[in-house]
Amino acid sequence: MIQLSTLQAEFIKLKYSTILGVTFLAFGLAPLMGGVFVLLVQDAEALEKASGLAAKARLIHFEANWKSYLDILNQAVGVGGVLVFGFVASWLFGREYSDGTAKDLLALPTSRTSILNAKFSLYILWCLALAVSNLLLGLVIGLLLQLPEPVSGDVSQFLLDYFTTTGLTILVGVPIAFFAIWGKGYLAPLGFVALTLVFAQVIAATGYGSYFPWSIPGLYSGAGGEYKDLLDVYSYSILVVVALLGYLSAVLYWTKADQTK
Amino acid sequence: MPIIKTHQLTKRFGQNVAIDALSLHVNPGEIYGFLGLNGAGKTTLIRMLLGMIKPDEGSITVMGQPLHPGFDQWNEVGYLVETPYSYPNLSVEENLRVYYKLRQLRDPNSIDTIIEQLKLSKYRNTKAKVLSLGNQQRLGLAKALMHQPRLLILDEPINGLDPEGIVEVRELLIQLAQQGSTIFLSSHILSEIARIAHRIGIIHEGRLVKELTTGELTDNLIRKLIVHTQDNTLALYCLTEAGYPAVLTDRNEIEINDRKAFDCPESISRLLVEKGLPPRQMYMFTEDLEAYFLRSIRHT
Repeated sequence: MIQLSTLQAEFIKLKYSTILGVTFLAFGLAPLMGGVFVLLVQDAEALEKASGLAAKARLIHFEANWKSYLDILNQAVGVGGVLVFGFVASWLFGREYSDGTAKDLLALPTSRTSILNAKFSLYILWCLALAVSNLLLGLVIGLLLQLPEPVSGDVSQFLLDYFTTTGLTILVGVPIAFFAIWGKGYLAPLGFVALTLVFAQVIAATGYGSYFPWSIPGLYSGAGGEYKDLLDVYSYSILVVVALLGYLSAVLYWTKADQTK
Repeated sequence: MPIIKTHQLTKRFGQNVAIDALSLHVNPGEIYGFLGLNGAGKTTLIRMLLGMIKPDEGSITVMGQPLHPGFDQWNEVGYLVETPYSYPNLSVEENLRVYYKLRQLRDPNSIDTIIEQLKLSKYRNTKAKVLSLGNQQRLGLAKALMHQPRLLILDEPINGLDPEGIVEVRELLIQLAQQGSTIFLSSHILSEIARIAHRIGIIHEGRLVKELTTGELTDNLIRKLIVHTQDNTLALYCLTEAGYPAVLTDRNEIEINDRKAFDCPESISRLLVEKGLPPRQMYMFTEDLEAYFLRSIRHT
């Protein structure tokens, strides 16, 4: 009951926030880009004119069918999600310091841990909503582009992969909460997101991405091609441990450290 | 049983001692004013009383319960720490709704009541980011008061308020104290504190340098009887001869520092008239609170 009221309070705080719409718009670019690829592939003449995009489409062996299109959506979550979900976490956990309201959350009958748990719940719900909205937008675009009917097995496999990628991307965003609370604002978590993105690309390119948590969602989504096969139980364990450590450090810092801002 | 009790409270930030072995107590129904310069340790102490900063040494008891992470009386405490901030995109009502939820309140009228009490009805649907400083302060107070706490801890509660707002908040605080609430407030407006507080604590460099009742404060203020005559040198001679401890100041005024003279200034007047030196000017000088405060911290 207490947790529900706390979550309701978080939902009230979210009202009229520009960032909410911005994240959906930014994340929605992926299905739109996928749609452009489909149009290019469907139209040979257009493909010749748009040389940059055409090269990219050829590079990823893009075809005008549901499988290729849905793969784009999945990779958008695994790679773009690290950035967009990172923004969501940075804002959710850093806003109290930027708005100057953090001190008003520290001496309440609702425990500090409950407040943080409500924020984590909202983070998960928000990221899931982003993933679902991309899926729906993709569905609409795919239907409008009259993609050939998919094989039913492909769809269920895609949905499993898509939501697994979403789950993995949500997990790697958990430690951002600690950086927001420790850095008391947006700067530290956003810096952390930027760093992890760079390292995720570099480390994945060197072949060690399967053991670097922030590369794992991208690799799982298939963005790294055959590197997905390198993911093993240790890869997922590392990711889960990092998320757990992120959660625990955020809770411990929020509940134990001196709050002077 | 004191509502707030601190014992030998100490907090260090690196080499800097923010609070130094501070012991104080605040009684039920009392308004305790807390004075100090910027950086004296007022906000650190207030944050410690709210469990936001942990002491290195010493203890805090609030409403008879030691202040530790399991403290469960937070709905009996309302607070305002430093500048009150609110969620900028939310209206006054929505901001209060957030704390209604977080405080697990059950009375649906509590938001309406506090909006009316703090005269925020006109701004009920106005976003916090466009409120004036004074109304933001009112909103901060509304958040602190909406659950009718037994203990109010307020850091500079009248900051930014216009004269009318200051009077309203002063009356509200006095009324709350009369209804049994205990109020611990800090302010740099000394005259305001002296007007409403029952007891005053002065903090300097983390130490409680003085603690006194408002009555004691009045007694401790320096008073002087200032006299000006046609011939001050001769008048000084006459007064000294009559046993009054009088001195001539740099401004060529006679200054008498004697309770007998304060209680019966007409005897001075009579004496000077008899000596053919009728006073041209005679008035009682009372040290202002700022001067007293500065004198208190400089003598520590």
